[in-house]
Amino acid sequence: MRKLLAALLLIGAVGLWAWADAVEIEVWWHTGKPEELAVMTAQIEEFNERHAGEIRARLVSIPEGDYTDEMRAAALANALPDVAILDGPTLASFVWGGYLQPLDGYISDELLDDLLPSVVDQGTYPPDGKIYAVGSFDSGLAMWGNREYLEEAGVRIPEGVDDAWTMDEFNDALRKLAELPDVRWPLDLKLNYGADEWLPYGFSPIMQSFGGDLINRDTWQAAGTMDGIESVLAMTLFQYWIDEGWVVPAGRGDDAFYGDAREAALAYVGHWMWEPHNEGLGDDLVLLPVPQFGAHHVTGMGSYAWSMPAGTDYPDEAWTFIEFLLEPEEILRITDANGAVPSRISAIGMSDLYGPGAPLELFAQQLETIAVERPVHPVYPVISTAFIDAALNIIDGADVRQELERAARRIDEDIEDNRGYPPFGD
Amino acid sequence: MRRRIGVGLRYAVLIAFALMFLAPVIAMVSTSFTGNERVIQRDLDNIRVFWPSPLATTNYDEVVTGRVIGGAPFTRYLANTVLIVGSIVILGVFVNSMAAFALARLRFRGRGILVAVVVALIIIPFEGVAVPMLLMVNRFGWLNSFHVQIVPFIAHPFSIFLFYQFFPRLPKEFDEAAKVDGASWWQVYRKIVLPISLPVIATVVILQSLEYWTSFLWPLMVTRGADYAPLSVAMNHFFGTPPRRWGQIMAFASLTALPLLLVYLGFQRWFIQSAAQSGVKG
Amino acid sequence: MFSQNLLRTRTGEGSAATFFLTPAVLLLATFLISPFVMSIVFSLTDARLISPLPTEFIGLRNYQRLFSDSSFWQAFRNTFTFAAIVVPVQSALALFLATLIKQRLRGINIFRGIYFMPVVINMVVVCVMWYFLLLYPEGLVNSIVQTVTFGRVGPLSFFDNPALAFPMIMVISIWQGVGFQMVIYLAGLQGIPTEFYEAARVDGASSWQQFWHITMPSLRNTHIFVIVTTTILAFKLFTQVQVLTQGRPLGTTNTLVRYIFVAGYREMRVGYAAAASVIFLLVVLTISLIQRRLLTEEREVR
Repeated sequence: MRKLLAALLLIGAVGLWAWADAVEIEVWWHTGKPEELAVMTAQIEEFNERHAGEIRARLVSIPEGDYTDEMRAAALANALPDVAILDGPTLASFVWGGYLQPLDGYISDELLDDLLPSVVDQGTYPPDGKIYAVGSFDSGLAMWGNREYLEEAGVRIPEGVDDAWTMDEFNDALRKLAELPDVRWPLDLKLNYGADEWLPYGFSPIMQSFGGDLINRDTWQAAGTMDGIESVLAMTLFQYWIDEGWVVPAGRGDDAFYGDAREAALAYVGHWMWEPHNEGLGDDLVLLPVPQFGAHHVTGMGSYAWSMPAGTDYPDEAWTFIEFLLEPEEILRITDANGAVPSRISAIGMSDLYGPGAPLELFAQQLETIAVERPVHPVYPVISTAFIDAALNIIDGADVRQELERAARRIDEDIEDNRGYPPFGD
Repeated sequence: MRRRIGVGLRYAVLIAFALMFLAPVIAMVSTSFTGNERVIQRDLDNIRVFWPSPLATTNYDEVVTGRVIGGAPFTRYLANTVLIVGSIVILGVFVNSMAAFALARLRFRGRGILVAVVVALIIIPFEGVAVPMLLMVNRFGWLNSFHVQIVPFIAHPFSIFLFYQFFPRLPKEFDEAAKVDGASWWQVYRKIVLPISLPVIATVVILQSLEYWTSFLWPLMVTRGADYAPLSVAMNHFFGTPPRRWGQIMAFASLTALPLLLVYLGFQRWFIQSAAQSGVKG
Repeated sequence: MFSQNLLRTRTGEGSAATFFLTPAVLLLATFLISPFVMSIVFSLTDARLISPLPTEFIGLRNYQRLFSDSSFWQAFRNTFTFAAIVVPVQSALALFLATLIKQRLRGINIFRGIYFMPVVINMVVVCVMWYFLLLYPEGLVNSIVQTVTFGRVGPLSFFDNPALAFPMIMVISIWQGVGFQMVIYLAGLQGIPTEFYEAARVDGASSWQQFWHITMPSLRNTHIFVIVTTTILAFKLFTQVQVLTQGRPLGTTNTLVRYIFVAGYREMRVGYAAAASVIFLLVVLTISLIQRRLLTEEREVR
């Protein structure tokens, strides 16, 4: 028995043992596309070389689907790392809980002037006006198409944001594309992402396009908005596409659109698929604006951004790392891999992807004209999970109105439980 | 002749059930030893799923030495689990048997009430108190640690009850003899009662090991990353992270199942007796 | 380490008892009794896991919300359905396996060992291996289904189909757990005097009659124990659901414990989850009390 106990203690001791000569900072990152991770890993290595003996960054890559849950649980356990990337709309809840520190003292004026306004806005916490997160890029959401199929089906290919498809045109296109012999599903909505932030990111713009939203941004109440007729119509349209058998099912995996079989004709997804889409389709790839489904023309925005948890022992080293990632060359490395819009104006100028006539110019145009941010409010994590649950059930065939009503009630209950999230309620 | 057919039929039924219990395990193990993910995909739907080919240990190499999940290899989670379950069980044997010793062999005021309380506590399911407990350990600052997974589970009403039922069977004369010798109660407990309680200790050890080796809800709530998470959480995480590489997942699964299976193979009789024991008096 | 005097056998047994009981009593009070009381108290508050705001009493608001939430009732019904199907099936199968294992045949211990084996396998691993066999569309079970039905049925997406997902979880649960009850029944069967059967055989009773008139009544206590423990285990259903379906599709596999987990942990609504916990505790405690009642009656009869 005693030996066993000693052995157990030994195992425990070995686990706790860690070597450290340089300051080690832990960096949390969400695992997206492999191309993105490869760049990130290379950047970490380069940073460590540059600061050999002083700072060593250690990358912890967490699956995207679990990322925000992991962050919240870590905040609770006081186990947040030194640097963490976080999804823009969750920022308010982390700041409200006191888990992040402002970056205002670190950001140079030169950097601040060079950042895209949308990136600054997204990282700013409205009650105190301070910046808590800075991203390397902003996101773009659009419709990717297979030119060959579109031409074969006789579907009009829009030229720019202004002549986007209407709802009728879009449904008509799906119907025509479905009839093509090689097309198994006309539309990939990335249902394979599962219970993920993708669902509010990708589909709340459709609700907003009809005049609905996730929550009323004046009264901060979800009832009447999340489950209002406009939102119900939008999600009914979403369910209609699925019921018609037009949408790639979740079980099919990721590559129905860009894989060798080219089973899907359109993919409604963000910039992060640029690399695989470009590789898989080459000249057949065409980037189209988000269709204008309802009265308004809306696309999504907001992305992951770098933050510094309040509990870090090494704020200076952590900032050194963030600053490194925000160098224009480093920004371009990651945006070349994921196709996102660089967060610095100087970087956009150097980009081969975003200049006039460049392949991804459209994302920048959309961001300037029709992008709507997700609500910046501490209740957002509940909005997100409530909407995700509702959307999954709607995908599985549930009654749209009932699901949205339930989601709205969950959000309003949470707001009530938090007495309106002061100072937001005031 | 008829008897022989009867015997044959009985074996047929026995074997049919045995196959049902073995098939998923065999499929898991053979997949884990199949070195080629494409072959795994190809053989998913036919009998070859039960046979590893090409036979290779690459999946095991990956899982044991590579940082497959949460930046750590299988061994890290194994060490965590062994430490947690080992601590619960070893500390639990002492704490619970001591309490039972007092309840069964000492006379003091309030004994009857305490026995009743312990028996009543048996039926409180942990799942029903998990959330307030989460809030409590969070206030203690215990989240993400080993002790948060150990300390709450040391005292175990059902184990106390098992000891309590066993101890009166030992002759009271032992205590008397020890008393005359000037021994303390601690010596009576430690030198006389514990050594002859091996059967019930084995039962308690086995039942608690089974319970905590497979515990999932609590570690899911209180651990983050690889530092303190047990195997069940790591297994779930690995299984839930796309893209699924079945060879590696099954190697991880096989290794997760292996330690307890080995102990079971060695001490089968004890396991089965313990299970039966849990039902005799419950 | 501790006062030898205190533990002298000649001194009062009371102080020795204090020494022996203190660790267990302290631990049980802290980690079982106080969370139990806290469940009830928190269920009347708006307590949250992390919040800069102070907790306040809100009366029965959590219960009102709980009872008006259709997904709570769905989880509640699912949990009962699970118990109502798994308990009889698993108990009956366990008894059947026990009678198989009780036969005096060469190598019978090997079969006993195999039937019990799933009990020692980690439940998450059990889920993973079954998921693999049930893969859509190309898993082994699907190809068996298609072969047996000559391609008329399938391939089936077992965990996406509202009619199949929960039954599959039931099958997996029974597969993993039945060995445990089998062993308990085996002990019960071995406790029946063989004279009973000999006497019955002399009377010319068939084996079927023997089973119904001797085996079943003699196992009364074992039945009660097996049924009650299996019922309580069934009410605690969580791991299989969390690993395999997360309550999907359409909430058809959601259970009470997962409902508590999601509310209390994922959404961090401690007060609300505590209210659901209180309902859960009420259900489980009621079942346990019924068991105690049945067992006491049995003792009185004898």
